[in-house]
Amino acid sequence: MNKRKASLAAAAAGVVAGAAGLSLLAMPAGAGQPPSLPDVSPESLVEQVLTSKPGAFGGTVEVDNQLGLPAIAEIPQLADGKHSARVWTDGAGKVRLALPNGQSEQTIVSDGTTTWSWNSVTNKVTKAEGKTEQPEEAKAIDPATAAKEIVGLTKEFSDISVDGTARVANRAAYELVLTPKASEKTLVREVRIAVDSELKMPLRVAVLTNGTAEPAGTVGFREINVGPQDPKLFEFTPPANAEVTTPEAEKGERGERPEAGLEQALRGENPQVFGSGWDLVVGARIPADAMTQVPAEAQGLVDRFTKKVSGGWGSGQLFTTKIATVLIADDGRVVAGAVPEQVLFDTIGQVK
Amino acid sequence: MITRQFGSEVRWMLRRPRTLIGLLGLALVPIVISFGVWLAGEESGGPGIAAILGGNGLVVPIFTLFMSLNLLLPLVASIWAADGLAGEAQHGTLRGLLVAPVSRVRLLFVKLFGLTAMSLLAVTLMAVVGIIAGTAFLGTDGMTTLSGTTLGTGEGLLRIALFIVLVTFQMVSIGAVALAVSATTEHPLVVQAATMVSIIVFQVLGQFPALDWLHPFLITTGFPGLIDVMRDPVPLDQIWDSTLLAGCYLLIGTGLAALRLITKDN
Repeated sequence: MNKRKASLAAAAAGVVAGAAGLSLLAMPAGAGQPPSLPDVSPESLVEQVLTSKPGAFGGTVEVDNQLGLPAIAEIPQLADGKHSARVWTDGAGKVRLALPNGQSEQTIVSDGTTTWSWNSVTNKVTKAEGKTEQPEEAKAIDPATAAKEIVGLTKEFSDISVDGTARVANRAAYELVLTPKASEKTLVREVRIAVDSELKMPLRVAVLTNGTAEPAGTVGFREINVGPQDPKLFEFTPPANAEVTTPEAEKGERGERPEAGLEQALRGENPQVFGSGWDLVVGARIPADAMTQVPAEAQGLVDRFTKKVSGGWGSGQLFTTKIATVLIADDGRVVAGAVPEQVLFDTIGQVK
Repeated sequence: MITRQFGSEVRWMLRRPRTLIGLLGLALVPIVISFGVWLAGEESGGPGIAAILGGNGLVVPIFTLFMSLNLLLPLVASIWAADGLAGEAQHGTLRGLLVAPVSRVRLLFVKLFGLTAMSLLAVTLMAVVGIIAGTAFLGTDGMTTLSGTTLGTGEGLLRIALFIVLVTFQMVSIGAVALAVSATTEHPLVVQAATMVSIIVFQVLGQFPALDWLHPFLITTGFPGLIDVMRDPVPLDQIWDSTLLAGCYLLIGTGLAALRLITKDN
């Protein structure tokens, strides 16, 4: 009889353990106790962020996007949610990136002179020679680079403080906070940068906007291992039956994309810059032929995204997110910035 | 003693004609897939892992198992779990086993072992046929991963072996829950229906973003992450999460089945 009871207890314990395990798995990983670190002055931390040279590391970066964009089936990457990417670097210009998207993957390998870009969806490899700069994608998802850019652009226009410590990817970090000065007309409330206490390298950047407690966007390491990486990671041999093209050939195809005109205009050779600091506004003019080239299907997409506005400056479409506003006038003028829409209405008249 | 029971259980399962027909059917799946991809020609690309199938025969077993995990393999696991207890109850043979001087917990472990052995056999059979059919129809030159790297044949086979183990574990976990249902009824069809309905409902629930709080509890949430085996280097976190999730189902299923068997009158 006792044995029966013991078996029953063991079986019940198994059920309870399984249920407890399920709930544990479902719980988001807690931040844990913030580490205690010696005090640092905000100024020296800013200096360290700007001068830090990250060495070799490999890790997983998580991008959490809560911009409040509508979910659009055609562009899943834009929708709110979490996306992760894996990054490896030897600290001396060699980089490997893996960008999973569902069951597909894009891999970008740069050994300093040649950049390979593989996409499993198209089964195509793009080979770019003689490029020593970091690939565009690496810049976009690397918290260290993002932090450096934000701090460099805005430190004179912000109140800078150190607000305690945090644990990011299991490493102790200081929380550097940049708050726009009261005179700045911006949507951003504050930017929090977690700076590794040992490496002085930014591990996480979070942008908080007015009116919300949760960050509108976070880019940070979920996991990082610092130290030399396997050199094989920075070599790439295209798969036997993949098509290998050059960026020039690729660009020819990409020119067809409807959003290319806007992208080119905003990233163009000499974008016009108005103001400085947090309320900096970038302006450009889309060539008239690019405006008329937009296919009807893409136009429908744009209409779903945007709001029609008009004023003394003319009329156009306004695209709003929690963090940035873009105004596209019907005559091809474009202004964008991390500012409320009124600032854009005031600025668009200056676009040449 | 227990190894002899394990052996006789598997022999007993293998002797059922429907087991053999089922295995034969499973073996056809990778052949049909390889043939279909070969027929479609060299055109490659597309979403997901299907994009890298062209000229890449070693991916066929992984693709086949990955697709089958959604419906076919849970169905097979539920059939074996249904035969194990409900089927025996229906034929009146379970009564004999329950009154025998053998611990009921041990009886459950024998059934669980039979389920595991048969799942591993089925998954391995599909993988081996997949390797042969894939190589024959699509050719092979190492194994191209989703990351665009090419693995040697040896390393490719290791990835397949890892995937076999992972998929078998998912199947056994589903089977364990099906065994718990099987212990409560003497109608094998009820077990199969309950299992399949749950799997399908789980997959439907997984489609609704509004229910994202529920998703971490569904075993089907863990399925897509297993494809990380085909990335290079292999990211372990999703694979680990899926396996832990299945492990929880295994514990719950086994525990419930044991509770029911121990308290069963005869």
